[in-house]
Amino acid sequence: MQAARFADTDRVFAAICLLIPTAALVLFFVYPLATVALRSITEPNGAFGLGNFAVILRSPNFWRAAIHSLVVSSATTAVVLILGLAVAFAVHRCRIVGSPIVMMAVMLPLLMPSLVQGLGLIFLLGRNGLLTKLTGLEINIYGFWGLLLANGLYALPQAVLIIGAALRSADARAYEAAEMLGASGWRQFRDITLPSIKFGLLSAGFVVFTVTITDFGNAATIGGDYSVLATEIYNQVVGQMNFNLGAVVGILLLLPTVLAFYLERVASQRQSGSISDSAVPIQPRWAPRRDIPMTFVAWTVALIPIITLGIVVFASFVWLWPYRFDLTLRHYDVKISGGYNPLWTTIYISVAAGGIGTVLTFMLAVALQRLPRQLVKPFYFICLLPAAVPGLVLGLSYVFAFNVSGGPLYALYGSAVLIAICNCAHYWTQGFLTAVTGIRQVPPSLQETAATLGASLPRVVWDVILPFTAPTIVSIFFFLFMQSMITLSALIFLVTASVSVASVSIMRLEEAGFTSQAAAYATCTMAVVIAASGAMRIVLRLLRRRA
Amino acid sequence: MQLALDGITKAYGGAVALEAISFTVDSPDFVCLLGPSGCGKTTLLRLIAGLASSDTGAIRLDGIDLALTPARQRGFGIVFQAYSLFPNMTIAENIGYGLRIRGEPAVRIKGRVDELLGLIQLPTLADRYPWQLSGGQQQRVALARAVAVEPKLLLLDEPLSALDAKVRVELRSEIRALQKRLGILTIMVTHDQEEALTLADRIVCMQAGRIAQIGAPKDLYHRPVNRFVADFMGVSNLIDVSTARRFAPALLEGYSGGTNKLACVRPEHVQIVAGGNGARITSIQFLGNVSRLHLDWAGGSLVAEEPGETPLASGAEVGVSFSAQRHSWVLAS
Repeated sequence: MQAARFADTDRVFAAICLLIPTAALVLFFVYPLATVALRSITEPNGAFGLGNFAVILRSPNFWRAAIHSLVVSSATTAVVLILGLAVAFAVHRCRIVGSPIVMMAVMLPLLMPSLVQGLGLIFLLGRNGLLTKLTGLEINIYGFWGLLLANGLYALPQAVLIIGAALRSADARAYEAAEMLGASGWRQFRDITLPSIKFGLLSAGFVVFTVTITDFGNAATIGGDYSVLATEIYNQVVGQMNFNLGAVVGILLLLPTVLAFYLERVASQRQSGSISDSAVPIQPRWAPRRDIPMTFVAWTVALIPIITLGIVVFASFVWLWPYRFDLTLRHYDVKISGGYNPLWTTIYISVAAGGIGTVLTFMLAVALQRLPRQLVKPFYFICLLPAAVPGLVLGLSYVFAFNVSGGPLYALYGSAVLIAICNCAHYWTQGFLTAVTGIRQVPPSLQETAATLGASLPRVVWDVILPFTAPTIVSIFFFLFMQSMITLSALIFLVTASVSVASVSIMRLEEAGFTSQAAAYATCTMAVVIAASGAMRIVLRLLRRRA
Repeated sequence: MQLALDGITKAYGGAVALEAISFTVDSPDFVCLLGPSGCGKTTLLRLIAGLASSDTGAIRLDGIDLALTPARQRGFGIVFQAYSLFPNMTIAENIGYGLRIRGEPAVRIKGRVDELLGLIQLPTLADRYPWQLSGGQQQRVALARAVAVEPKLLLLDEPLSALDAKVRVELRSEIRALQKRLGILTIMVTHDQEEALTLADRIVCMQAGRIAQIGAPKDLYHRPVNRFVADFMGVSNLIDVSTARRFAPALLEGYSGGTNKLACVRPEHVQIVAGGNGARITSIQFLGNVSRLHLDWAGGSLVAEEPGETPLASGAEVGVSFSAQRHSWVLAS
């Protein structure tokens, strides 16, 4: 006899928590992506077939862009892995001077749209670049080298974070044992450190590769004639209105990113599987022969983002770059492409995306915790997918799904709401995984105690789970807020003349030759993001003090 | 209040966690579910609490089947091993939480909380937060929180296991005193046989998802039904029939035939005869109030206990005798 199942309010509440986010994901992620697949096999005459693929695969432009993408992404990955390992090792395993400042410098690019790296390089090495003028050299930064530098800067923080996490999870006792056996520092690095972080390195490599191959902002600013897949999609769709061919390039761009994403998951799971609970953390001792050179290396790497991004801020205040260095605010008087309206719109959108995304990911995490294990897997799978989908493809999919006049959701197209929703979908995976981790940290016995004392599920959520996960919720909100402030790739397809975002304004100003105004706009955007990150720290500190 | 379990089974995937569990207990008993880890005792407690549901069988409270009643409507109190106080609420808010859910007026809640704070001897800590309290204090608060709603049944899931040895013994007697005073039928899960012996009116000894024996602590200690219970309820000497025949015929009393039987003799019922022979001391452990002697005897080993310090030394030749009628015959498997 199966114990009879009871339907009570708890089940209804759990069902709502499960169904609303799931419905949102299906409507605003699965369905649009399906339209991309459908459009890619819709031939000009309306029939289904692989004709579009044949056209694209026969096009020398596509192959050139594809090869460029692979070459520049592989090169960036190699460079970033080496520099990322150096910085992470210097910060976590050596005693270098000013390691918090090095970390902060390396993390700077996380606070701004990807095209700002490109902008900084133009101020430095472009036709009117500071170094170009000072040295008189003929430097052509537009193209491979510019992309390598800009994408490298953009991807370095993620590499340092992932490799750093792998380095932190080591056990000091292994090194003490090696020391006792007479192994030198270099041998210890080769025999213990490298093997123990190999999955972290792999994972970082895949992330860097994905970030680079899917990035649009730098490709648009500093790519020049060096066409890559990201700009190829944009040209097909916006330039030539070949929507179906754009869909094909999008599908082809999905292949490497989904593969890299899958391998990254495998690698990061192996990495986390190797940590033992009882590990003794490593506290490096001062070793001048290691630490002096590592300080030098770490600071050299840290100076690159400081200079590149600092010069953007500086240039925004300079009368006429690079001829007249009087300080002025005149570039902040932005008149074209809507002035500062897009910046305000972006802030509204980011607050909305943060709010919607936090509530939905949290609801789903609560619901999944109460679902039988075998049922959780498919939901989990769908929630991981957004991380594998490039923003460009997601943006394109929104065009296909919602820019259909007469369609049920046509009213959303061109609205700020749809942009906010698109941002939620774009960054869903990271938000969701954070929510799941946060909720897992609530002791089950607390929830069970509350339930036994008579608390219904909504009350358990309110009295137990929410207070416990408040820091997690704050982090998710600010993560979504900051990502929404700086994202460009998906939104490039969704902005209109009346509803636009800050990163698009920066791009348009730069395209129109108003480079200093673009710098001013980027500086304002950065200021908002830095303020948000400061606000997050304050809120988190207040929460910690209360607990 | 009577709690009746009738043919409870529970499996996780293919693994059977509980099989054919049936027993009835009445208030105001203190019942211990005792067994090694993995024997299913915690699973059983969770089924009773309503935090999980059984595959088959029924749980009845005063004859009413609880299958359709979710945990929050059962009106039970529960205390877990890891204090599990709500970290964001003060001590008073923690204790009053169940009453607040029931919509009691604030004045009544305050009265009840004050009364309970007095009962657990922490009257001045009402406005502190859990992290400001010691482990023992936190567990007292958890206990007060569980009994605040006047539960029909009090469930304790290894409530003392996370505490220091000394606090554990102290709190043990406090729990017992509180339970006696309130007269609530209480079910406690523990793996500590000493805890079960000192606290329980009745012990349900569990082995691999089944009930091995139910009874008063004295019954389980002196008259275990099988080797598992004999071993689990303290130290025992298990002597087979042929050895008993040859070396200790006095033990044959009570033997009812069959080869699958062992005589169970507790160490305190083994007397050492100084100057005798037949046994040799292999080692001596000094445990404070008693000394435990390990002996070579009859081709096997034997454990005996003597009060205080023993004058004997390791390696000494001694005789052995068994107290009359202090042994029992148990099933070998």
